[in-house]
Amino acid sequence: MSLLRVENLHRHLGEGDTRVHALRGVSFTIEPGRTYAIAGHSGSGKSTLLYLLGLLDIPDEGRIWVGDRETSRLTDDERTATRNAHMGFVFQFHFLLKEFTALENVMLPMRKLGRLSEDAMRAKAADLLTAVGLADKTRRLGTQLSGGEQQRVAIARALANDPSLILADEPTGNLDHANADRVFALLSDIAHQRGQALLMVSHNPELAARCDQVFRMQDGVILA
Amino acid sequence: MRPNLLIALRFLGARKRAMLMSLTGIVFGVAFFVITQAQTAGFESYFIKTILGVNGMVRIEDRIQSTRTLEAGAGSGFAIAVEGSVKYIPGVQFPNKIVDALKAFPEVTAASPVIRGNATLIANFREYDTKPYGIDLATFVAVSDLETQIIDGSLKTFGENPYGLIVGVRIARRMNLQVGDSVLLDSVGEPQRFRVAALFETGIDQVDRERVYLHLPAIRTLLNKPAGASFIQLNLQDQNAAPAMAARIEQTIAHSTMPWQEREKTWLQVFSVLRISSALTISTIIFISGLGMFNTLVMIVVDKTREIAILRSMGYTREDISRIFMLQGGIVVAVGVVLGCGAAALGTYALSHIPIRIRGIFASDHFVVLWDPWHYVAAAVIATMVVLVASYFPARRAARLEPGSIIRGSSS
Repeated sequence: MSLLRVENLHRHLGEGDTRVHALRGVSFTIEPGRTYAIAGHSGSGKSTLLYLLGLLDIPDEGRIWVGDRETSRLTDDERTATRNAHMGFVFQFHFLLKEFTALENVMLPMRKLGRLSEDAMRAKAADLLTAVGLADKTRRLGTQLSGGEQQRVAIARALANDPSLILADEPTGNLDHANADRVFALLSDIAHQRGQALLMVSHNPELAARCDQVFRMQDGVILA
Repeated sequence: MRPNLLIALRFLGARKRAMLMSLTGIVFGVAFFVITQAQTAGFESYFIKTILGVNGMVRIEDRIQSTRTLEAGAGSGFAIAVEGSVKYIPGVQFPNKIVDALKAFPEVTAASPVIRGNATLIANFREYDTKPYGIDLATFVAVSDLETQIIDGSLKTFGENPYGLIVGVRIARRMNLQVGDSVLLDSVGEPQRFRVAALFETGIDQVDRERVYLHLPAIRTLLNKPAGASFIQLNLQDQNAAPAMAARIEQTIAHSTMPWQEREKTWLQVFSVLRISSALTISTIIFISGLGMFNTLVMIVVDKTREIAILRSMGYTREDISRIFMLQGGIVVAVGVVLGCGAAALGTYALSHIPIRIRGIFASDHFVVLWDPWHYVAAAVIATMVVLVASYFPARRAARLEPGSIIRGSSS
């Protein structure tokens, strides 16, 4: 069974004269343990597609299955719970909560899921930070970390609830070349090792080419 | 700790200075609210205590006589009184019978007949117009605080002397009287001699400067009033039950009966208006703090838009987001109420020790306060309502944010 399946997705953005048909019938399938890139120019609909897949937005037309569950009729709370249990997000601007330490940021999704004890959450968050090379910086606030370190904390946070799908929106877009390479390698390795799928939106054709499959987008459609 | 509470606590630090201002406003608002209520209610309750100690809870005065009747049939001899057509005959004609009848009311703890009149007090070559009150000492101390109002001499001396006199302190000062002095009272042109057995002070100016107490048999002779009484003064088990009891007694014994609440209506209304007005005035501090809280939370929502979006993306529901902001308001108001109540207790204690000499409607040498837990409850309820309403709108706004739009807007 596929991890995620989309069928004929359509999405309009804006109102009135500025209304744009951002997605025009997108369909594809995501399998576990593989890495995918959505590549394309600005305005091609990459990010719009990613937010629909992450259930952060609702398509005007078309359907999305997460596992065997069709999501179009889910309530907002059910969509949120699905995100919490099955998806991890990494964004271009990391979005760490600056009042929390690296460890506490990673623990936030676990706290919401509520499956682990405080000690278990703390241990797991420390393991994840060790996995992304930040074992010695667990107690630092987000503001005390470099851009690359913040992005690695965001990756650890995305992995906190062992999601089956990691959605990354330009995860390296705000990093220098060395850090971009390191972050991508980290995401790709984790996805392959843990049998998780990685779907990444990227401007960077080099990084996109290193994924198992690339969806090239133009004017709201995936090119064959 | 629950995640929403943890996040709320950390977000509170985002606008520390503004939050501290709101918190300070709530602390001051709660404290001032309680202190002003303690003070106004304190004076009011002390006034009530004083006035009840002087004039009792209920007074039975004039006899009611119906003046119009409807005859059921010509010559039938059966008549019904017409409501509203009554005549008041001054005084109580048979006080002992009324006192006996009152024994049927278990709520009445004591009843004492009193004769009131006018007389000129003559002493030290001076004359002074007074209102003599003839009392039965044994029963009158049960319907008044006369025992505690004595500031010189003793009730025992008064009780032992059939011509003893208890004089109001202001009369004594005016007439330069002391305990043991001999004075004359003249009402009907036949002056009688009395001996000052004690001086009393109620704190009520009018009482202290015109009232003298003497024994019932003595006043009957002085006023040439061999029978009856001017009124009967009652005390009840529950002072708040006075209006209902007065109505029942009036219906039963056909005498005009007045509860203290009606008798002292004017002063009670003054106190009531003062209390409400001070509560409203002080509540504005809390309202302004609520507005400050509203502004601060709105600013935090704007500051934390991206954080809200990321929380939503990682699985926090709209309700979670709403709770995070409501909890921030809740934490501030909880801390504000606790600190405010503490400050109020200290302030009230300090106020009660400020020396101030008050005479006129009661006697006190310091500020009078009333320690009433309901003042604290009322302040807490007002502060909580104001802050929760102020938090609700920013919380709703935060919960309505669409994470996709925010993240899309933040991306390059």
